[in-house]
Amino acid sequence: MNLTSLIDSLLSDTLQTSLPLFGTELALCGTIVFMLLVRVLKGGQHVPPFLLAMTGAIIALWLALPREGIEAWADLGRQELFTGMLVHDTLTAYLRVFLLSFVVLFLVLAQLTGLADRDDGQDFFTLVLGATLGMCVMVSANHLLTIFLGVEMASVPSYVLVGIVKGRRRSSEAALKYAIYGAGAAGVMLYGISLLAGVLGSAHLPTMAHELAALDIPGQLAAGEGGSTVMVLALGGLMMGVGLAFKLSAVPFHFWCPDVFEGAPAEIGAFLSVASKAAALALLIRVGFGLGYLPEDPAPSLAATQPAAAISMVSTSQIPTSQVAYQSETASIDGSADDPLSPVRNFFVILVAIVAIVSCTFGNLAAYGQTNIKRMLAYSTIAHAGFMMMAVAAAVALIGRDVGHAETALSALLLYLSIYLFMNLGAFAIIAFLRNAMHSEDIKDYAGLIRSCPMTAVMMTMILVSLIGLPPLAGFWPKLRVLQSLYEAGGPLMITVLVAAGMNTAISLVYYLRVVKVMCIDPPSDTQEPPTLGFFSTAYILVVALPVLLFGIMPEKVAEWADLATKNLF
Amino acid sequence: MQNLILANLLTEPIGVAHYVVVSAFMFTCGVLCMATKRNVLGVLMGVELVLNAASINLIAFGSPFLRNDANSLGLDGQLMTLFVIVLAAAEAAVALAIALNFYNNHDSIDVDRADELLG
Repeated sequence: MNLTSLIDSLLSDTLQTSLPLFGTELALCGTIVFMLLVRVLKGGQHVPPFLLAMTGAIIALWLALPREGIEAWADLGRQELFTGMLVHDTLTAYLRVFLLSFVVLFLVLAQLTGLADRDDGQDFFTLVLGATLGMCVMVSANHLLTIFLGVEMASVPSYVLVGIVKGRRRSSEAALKYAIYGAGAAGVMLYGISLLAGVLGSAHLPTMAHELAALDIPGQLAAGEGGSTVMVLALGGLMMGVGLAFKLSAVPFHFWCPDVFEGAPAEIGAFLSVASKAAALALLIRVGFGLGYLPEDPAPSLAATQPAAAISMVSTSQIPTSQVAYQSETASIDGSADDPLSPVRNFFVILVAIVAIVSCTFGNLAAYGQTNIKRMLAYSTIAHAGFMMMAVAAAVALIGRDVGHAETALSALLLYLSIYLFMNLGAFAIIAFLRNAMHSEDIKDYAGLIRSCPMTAVMMTMILVSLIGLPPLAGFWPKLRVLQSLYEAGGPLMITVLVAAGMNTAISLVYYLRVVKVMCIDPPSDTQEPPTLGFFSTAYILVVALPVLLFGIMPEKVAEWADLATKNLF
Repeated sequence: MQNLILANLLTEPIGVAHYVVVSAFMFTCGVLCMATKRNVLGVLMGVELVLNAASINLIAFGSPFLRNDANSLGLDGQLMTLFVIVLAAAEAAVALAIALNFYNNHDSIDVDRADELLG
């Protein structure tokens, strides 16, 4: 292979395959650069940054939606972009639409609450779009480099967003804690990544899975040799898990979450609890399925990675890299018990399941004594992240036996995320509007809200009941489907998880209903003047909160999209 | 057994193992620094040590001279290191700005002073 043909194949891979599917990210990049440069131009200061950011986000959303309607997802295959760095499949497509729809709603909220209408509006919108760009990379990551890059690109702007309101002691403290914990977790994660890449000789997830299969861990363990390799792999996996657990705010790496949510403005809380969690869960899926499952036919990925391998060959002149894996004999992938990747899957499932149980229980128990509503919702976020991780554990446990059931488990997770968007965005929007009206975020100050703002109180009640997961509202369906997948997965561990999930739903009842009781039954205090919300605020709350009721009564449409998005994922 | 490994390291020509030992040492120093320092700048230095330890690993695993077998990371390792260097700089810039903001509000960059929010 000479240099010309190399460059040709690289160019065609980049221009014809990758860039058309990368339009969303490019639009976000373009908007960020344009927003930063427009201030330099003459008269550029008078262009409202909100309009620019909104236009960019809507263009990106339009590019993320499939041209031929959502049904086109049914026959969307798996395609590797940029020589295997990113992957475009239905999961990417679904989550990109999810993230950008959230960002559009979030930008409107930030504008309505006045978080971004000062002269630092440009900075705020740049940071939000930058973090979204990082999350888009996270959901499509297929290489250890893009995993790390995505995590950092999503985290670094989030640190600044937490401290975006200057001159507030608590805000600066929250930003400092978030940045320090985040930097530490990212460092440990990178060290784990370097160990994994070093032992397996590749950083491309499917190639790593091939290498893992070629290592034949079950055979090695049975023969009692190769213990050190397995130990290094386990250590690397655990260290990488630290970074993921930090992004998911899973116990034992949840310390930052309540502090950051309490110190940051409520709008940022919505951003971190919905978008950041969704991207982190997608990354968990990518890692779990990338390393724990080999697709039946590795041929397409071979074609995609060849340029990268060939370039390394030319530059280092004799070292072949990533395509060696494909020359090794294809391991038996019949999904039987002696699947060479089953120990990897078991390790992942046990780890995720235990962390999920602990996060869920801890989050729900710690939410009891909270007096600040944002802090209570932070613990509720930890609990919900735990619940969603249970779905990931079930899906990875199922993939070895039955691809169809694994897809159902993932579709339950996607449905959960979509419903969760409306619930949490609604809750944080109400908190932000009430903060503007009454300058308080304490639960006790919400007393008598049903009299002063009946509409808001009713919507908040609806959202809280939906967060518990009670039947007439949307939060019920995803919980039911996650429990169903856990039951399908079977086995002692999954049944334990199932019982824990059921009990947690009961535990969570009390603290959500306490807020409802304060709002609807307690008499209003004399010192607090009753808040009034403007027309636009009430309208926004209605738009975001009504889907919770609508999807509760007729969840078929969203469930159908989630099913479509997972139909031929594997 | 431990003595044997160390003796081997001293007598063998320089290979991946030597680099990994150095990076493991740096990683440990970095984690200790993060855990014990009370000053934000000290903690950030610990983070830099950890990131650079990982970079050493990646370079060593990717080098064709140290690890002349099919299992090498190749250029991927060096590319990842380049990205890590840039990301570390970006992260340090943001963390220092946040530390400055904290200093403006608290007149100190001692992490123990960050105790108003009880995590």
